[in-house]
Amino acid sequence: MTITATLEVFRCAPGGVDGRFESYDVTVHDNATVLDAIEAVWANHDRSLVFRHACHHASCGSCGVLVNGSEVLPCIVDLADALRQRSPVRVEPLRNLPLAGDLVVDVTGFFERMLASTMSITRTAEDALPLDADDDGGRSQAVSVPDGLARFNRFENCVECGICISACPTMATDERFRGPAMLAALGRARAESADPQQREHLLDLADGEHGVWRCHSSWECTQRCPQQVDPAESIMEQRREILRRRFRRRVR
Amino acid sequence: MSRARVIVIGAGSTGAATAHDLALRGVDVIVVERGEVASGTTGRNHCLLHSGGRYCVNDEEAGIECIDENLTLRRIMPDLLELNDGLFVATDEADRAYMDTFLEACARCHIPARELSRAQALEAEPFLTPDVLAAVQVPDGVFEPFRFCLAFLATARANGAQVRTFTEVTDLATSDGFVSGVEVVDRRTGRSETLGADLVINAGGPWAEHLASMADVDVPVSPTPGVMVTVGRRLANMVINRCNVPSDGDIVVPQRTTSIIGTTSWSVDDPDHIPIPSDHVDRMMTRGRSLIPEVASTPIRGVMAVARPLISKPGVDARDVSRTFECFDHKADGIEGFVTISGGKTTTARAMAEKVSDIVCGKLGSTAECRTSEVPLVSYRRFYL
Ligand SMILES: Cc1cc2nc3c(=O)[nH]c(=O)nc-3n(C[C@H](O)[C@H](O)[C@H](O)COP(=O)(O)OP(=O)(O)OC[C@H]3O[C@@H](n4cnc5c(N)ncnc54)[C@H](O)[C@@H]3O)c2cc1C
Ligand code: SF4
Repeated sequence: MTITATLEVFRCAPGGVDGRFESYDVTVHDNATVLDAIEAVWANHDRSLVFRHACHHASCGSCGVLVNGSEVLPCIVDLADALRQRSPVRVEPLRNLPLAGDLVVDVTGFFERMLASTMSITRTAEDALPLDADDDGGRSQAVSVPDGLARFNRFENCVECGICISACPTMATDERFRGPAMLAALGRARAESADPQQREHLLDLADGEHGVWRCHSSWECTQRCPQQVDPAESIMEQRREILRRRFRRRVR
Repeated sequence: MSRARVIVIGAGSTGAATAHDLALRGVDVIVVERGEVASGTTGRNHCLLHSGGRYCVNDEEAGIECIDENLTLRRIMPDLLELNDGLFVATDEADRAYMDTFLEACARCHIPARELSRAQALEAEPFLTPDVLAAVQVPDGVFEPFRFCLAFLATARANGAQVRTFTEVTDLATSDGFVSGVEVVDRRTGRSETLGADLVINAGGPWAEHLASMADVDVPVSPTPGVMVTVGRRLANMVINRCNVPSDGDIVVPQRTTSIIGTTSWSVDDPDHIPIPSDHVDRMMTRGRSLIPEVASTPIRGVMAVARPLISKPGVDARDVSRTFECFDHKADGIEGFVTISGGKTTTARAMAEKVSDIVCGKLGSTAECRTSEVPLVSYRRFYL
């Protein structure tokens, strides 16, 4: 079984030059995602289309775009659902990042910030199995670490997709804003660190006029994040921590 | 004397590791990749850092390669791996009988293996099927193919390599039985150019045959896709494998907060865009459920399919083709300056790179030795800086 859809895809040269929408009719298998449809445009219609993609299961974070005006990872959006929302399906690059061609944005500044956050992509400090106490019949209590394994580790929730950067209204007004992803990463790095000096340093990085205080609390990042990272809550938590620290310093 | 220049076509795990190996040996490397890094087979694979357990019974060579490389990758990219081991699970008497063969094969391939009782297995993995009779724990792991490639390429760049993504090879520059470079088009600007080189390496995965045909040589790669289904919840700490002869849907790889069930195997002619057969998706869910019943009530998050670059051997079924790799020096086909590396796994990418780089350095008259098993990789994030 197949479905046929029209895609309106944003096309441009590097720097956003010659920006326009082009329409393509694609026929794809009926369980196709929006990313499958974008790939079909490239495979069957226009080999010059550039888009980023790798894992097709929301783990690499490279394929983020706007579908019908909202930030998503198109690898986990059913084409049929997108079509029900709007036909033709509209696909555009993420906002608040420089345009590098068609659907690709320049992620240099984004990865500079992620590197500066020092967050490792593997986390070790908590349960590997994220179980909800109410839906696992109490089995989470039974999880024990087998001999020979010090503890379980797993990859961080954040896939560095840049969706929160695109969705953030503050990012649009201050390009030096560290942004939700980096601020959340600083929070995660601090949670994983046992070194008091490093923890202080990470909090310093989150502080300041382009740091957690710049956020206007629109909560768009948390709403759009495909990985339940909840950057907004992390920003609020770090604000509280910075205030506690200021208070401690004053009374000392 | 100026440094020898080598062009690597393809930034999947094979091309990425090869660029790193050659750059470390002082070769001037340019990688050309038509899409994003890992946008071919590598990005969409099952993410399993093999212990060798999957292959050791039928393919000892592949089993040994996997465990050796598994241990090496733990040294050079420790923060890019989920290191929680794997379980080979017996759920019926046939699996139980296979377990003895499996344990012997692990011993032959020096894969550390430990038997767990039913109770121990269920204690470590509460979502495992209650049908489990016994299990064997082996050092499987989980990687992220995209960041795996970025880390190799970022390190290659730190050592002087150039990496050009969205740059498609449209032809090979050949004259008098020599490949002297590649013709490329930058997909972002539409600009074409010819890049000259002393030698070109074809690391085109399932597209290797097509690329080799540009120099009129035949590389017998048969694109053999597999379907994987990702469900939106982590249902195991370790990788869960069925303890039996490899077949469809017998591995559940937990990754981050999800579980990936795979895989199947069939043949296609064109690996560019692989339609996903619905019955393969259903089969993954059924097979996955027989290992972890909770799969049935977990929503599907993503479905993907991608083609293995298996080296075809006449008359041999795809599942039985060895998962080890092969390197073709096309001198044997009357073409100089052109080498193809194909087959293998992402787990063994570093070893594949070592082998092809040895051959390439020999051809270029360099005596530099491979150092990739000792040198830690730089942060994958540096790829974009
Ligand atoms: C379903 C499935 C599951 C797998 N699971 C695992 C696993 O769990 N663990 C594991 O270790 N291995 C696994 N493998 C095997 C592994 O994924 C492959 O062996 C490996 O990814 C091959 O890498 P490669 O670099 O050779 O090919 P590719 O990753 O395909 O790289 C080739 C690159 O060449 C590029 N290219 C093609 N044509 C051109 C051109 N004209 N110009 C420029 N660039 C071009 C492509 O875009 C592509 O990026 C799996 C394979 C499959 C199919
Ligand atoms: S915090 Fe969420 S939205 Fe932002 S980069 Fe990470 S995964 Fe993407």
